[in-house]
Amino acid sequence: MFADKIGMCLAIPAKIIKINDQLAIVDFQGVKKEINISLVDVKTGDFVMVHAGFAIEKMEEDNVKEIKEYLK
Amino acid sequence: MNNSMKNNKIIELEMGGGGKKSEELIGNIRNILSVKGKWQNTKDDGAVFELFASRTRATNAGHTNFNSKSFSKLVFTTDAFIVDPLFFPGGDIGKIAICGTLNDLAVMGAKPIGISLSLVIEEGFTQADLEKIIQSINKISKITGVPIVTGDTKVTEKGKIDKIEITISGVGLASKIISNDGAKVGDDIIVSGDLGEHAVALLAKRFNYQTKIKSDCQPLIDEIQSVSKYLTSCKDPTRGGMAAVLNEMSQKSKTKFVLEEKTLSYKKETVAISELLGIDVFSFPSEGRFVATVPKKYSKKVIKILQKFNKSAKIIGWVGRSASSADKGGGVWLKTKIGSIKRIETPRGKLIPRIC
Amino acid sequence: MEYKKILKNIQEKAERIDRPIRFMELCGTHSEVIAKYGIKNILPKNIQLITGPGCPVCVIDQSEIDIVTGLALAGIPIACYGDATNIPGSLGSLENARQKGARVFIVYDVAEALELSKKISNLVFWGIGFETTTVMTAWGIQNNLTVFSSHKLFPPAMEALLKNNKIRVDGFIDPGHVSAIIGTEVYEKFQIPQVVAGFEAKDVLRAIEMLLTQIITKEKKVENEYARLVKKEGNLKAKKVISEVFEVRNAFWRGLGEIKNSGLKIRKKYQHLDAEFIHRDLIAKIKKEIRPKKNTRLDSRGRPLVDARRVCRCGEVLQGIISSKQCKLFGKYCTPDNPQGACMVSREGSCNINFRFNE
Repeated sequence: MFADKIGMCLAIPAKIIKINDQLAIVDFQGVKKEINISLVDVKTGDFVMVHAGFAIEKMEEDNVKEIKEYLK
Repeated sequence: MNNSMKNNKIIELEMGGGGKKSEELIGNIRNILSVKGKWQNTKDDGAVFELFASRTRATNAGHTNFNSKSFSKLVFTTDAFIVDPLFFPGGDIGKIAICGTLNDLAVMGAKPIGISLSLVIEEGFTQADLEKIIQSINKISKITGVPIVTGDTKVTEKGKIDKIEITISGVGLASKIISNDGAKVGDDIIVSGDLGEHAVALLAKRFNYQTKIKSDCQPLIDEIQSVSKYLTSCKDPTRGGMAAVLNEMSQKSKTKFVLEEKTLSYKKETVAISELLGIDVFSFPSEGRFVATVPKKYSKKVIKILQKFNKSAKIIGWVGRSASSADKGGGVWLKTKIGSIKRIETPRGKLIPRIC
Repeated sequence: MEYKKILKNIQEKAERIDRPIRFMELCGTHSEVIAKYGIKNILPKNIQLITGPGCPVCVIDQSEIDIVTGLALAGIPIACYGDATNIPGSLGSLENARQKGARVFIVYDVAEALELSKKISNLVFWGIGFETTTVMTAWGIQNNLTVFSSHKLFPPAMEALLKNNKIRVDGFIDPGHVSAIIGTEVYEKFQIPQVVAGFEAKDVLRAIEMLLTQIITKEKKVENEYARLVKKEGNLKAKKVISEVFEVRNAFWRGLGEIKNSGLKIRKKYQHLDAEFIHRDLIAKIKKEIRPKKNTRLDSRGRPLVDARRVCRCGEVLQGIISSKQCKLFGKYCTPDNPQGACMVSREGSCNINFRFNE
């Protein structure tokens, strides 16, 4: 598989769409992928930062508005 | 022979990517081929042959709009396709092959009159898949009215080629050629729609992302014909994306191209995939878009016409005077959202293999 | 419009300080944002940004590269992140090994490596990175993935930089995602202005503005510009996973030498998944093979001395002592197509970034 250019630190906020045990479908600006959420405690609708296939941290409720500003 | 040929005894994957190394490889091959004949524009999307003044009668050309203008130039082009995967959201190798060649003629300002179809197929390839691919080719042929007039089919033993390779050559007629070196200082730079979606469709499939974005693969003949008289230069940003073609256009016209980050033409999904995969979005190919330069006085009119085909057609920058060495042109520059100015170079590195 | 305001504030504050100021960004991704947006060119002339050792691939010691490459050449299948395959070593790079027939698999994430390990039983995943990727590797080990650990902790490197008097730095732009894992408390012991920044251009500019304010008010505190993601205590769940699987040890960093308590070793209870333990005999053999030949002058660490003019100066670049341009190899003999050292190989490497963005 061609993965020469995969950046490790690159990450953008993703919204949790659907949870399935340790995994979740997240949405990055219209692009969806299944990632691992075992390192965070989240529910559907939360925003997380994803890094190399894992959600590394949840973005706080009061900061979600700020996130949406950044996503514009 | 330059350093590249001497040091590299093998052909590297990067040399097919559309970036700097591709340029070098092509340059080295050209240096060997010594017979030029009377063809012009041999470094453009299609080569041009000046016919003797003749009136071409409108024959069975289907939907393309032939009238009794004199077409004094014959344009000839060819393209090979090894896209992987063969079937992707928005198209397949057949669709991209025929559109690719038709578009190479279209961006030269030519009206395609016939194409050839060569297939090299690996033993074991299914008849069903082959039929799907040929149907795709036929669909575009019907829509554009351009016939497949000749071809060849070969089958190799299993393992000697990866599934299928398609080569399509095409011939078109033009009264005025839109070359890739015609940009003039003061022109606006335009795009016919949002860029990079072919790349998104393929990358999403390869790396398991789900998105609504489909390949932008489509024929551009009618779109370009609707505004061709206003265009000073024109190219379709396939391999190497916008970065590759704008650099080529700037270099060949010896001008400077300036873009604004605020008005760039990429959907948010396209930017998202580029960030997730760490691949520069400016190198994302499109297979159904063109970029062009237009004199400022016509650019709004051109955009209005093009928006009838695609609402996202827009002006993305302007052509300025080249301050530095006239040989290399002024390069392509981006005014970032924070107000700084960054150069956009021709892409280097492996880029994205087998995207077209 | 917001950018104009931040830039104006930066201009005003820099003028007030009125002397050369040097800030170091510690994370490869910050370096990339800075280069991508040409931030260096738009800052006041008295502010200099230096790239620190925030590139995990770049700081891997030569011996570790050689061991993993040696394992690959000996037939052990290796899985790793893309960047790691092109670092040149004494036995060539992993990519060279792959071309010679070794089984080297590039994976996007640990989950992919885990899937692969179910089909290839003796697969070894090369764990590279700081705290952010360490936690994922730890998860992998908890799920039965065999790993060779080159993982490192970031704060000890920051401490080493501060102790090095060849480097003068007035403030740190602290890493974003490492901080999301470890929190910000751990930086408080460093006596230097620090701001944890996010990865948008706006975040980096805000961080620079905040650092300037600290200099003006003569403070030395840790501020969090990335509060939307980073908490003071970090991600407790993630930290627990790391400490369950790993323990701290000393580690060698390219360019910085040995840094105490900066490396991560797999704990004894997971020894059966520790490639260093499983393949210890093979590794000993590889170490003998890469030992320098006789009649070569050695330095204090037992490394062969080479002509300084022709050698890669990654070590100095990583500490921010010189810029990429000051290395004679940069751009001419050392390019992303033909990297001489780790800083050019990795996408997060200072030289790779500077080359790509024409800095």
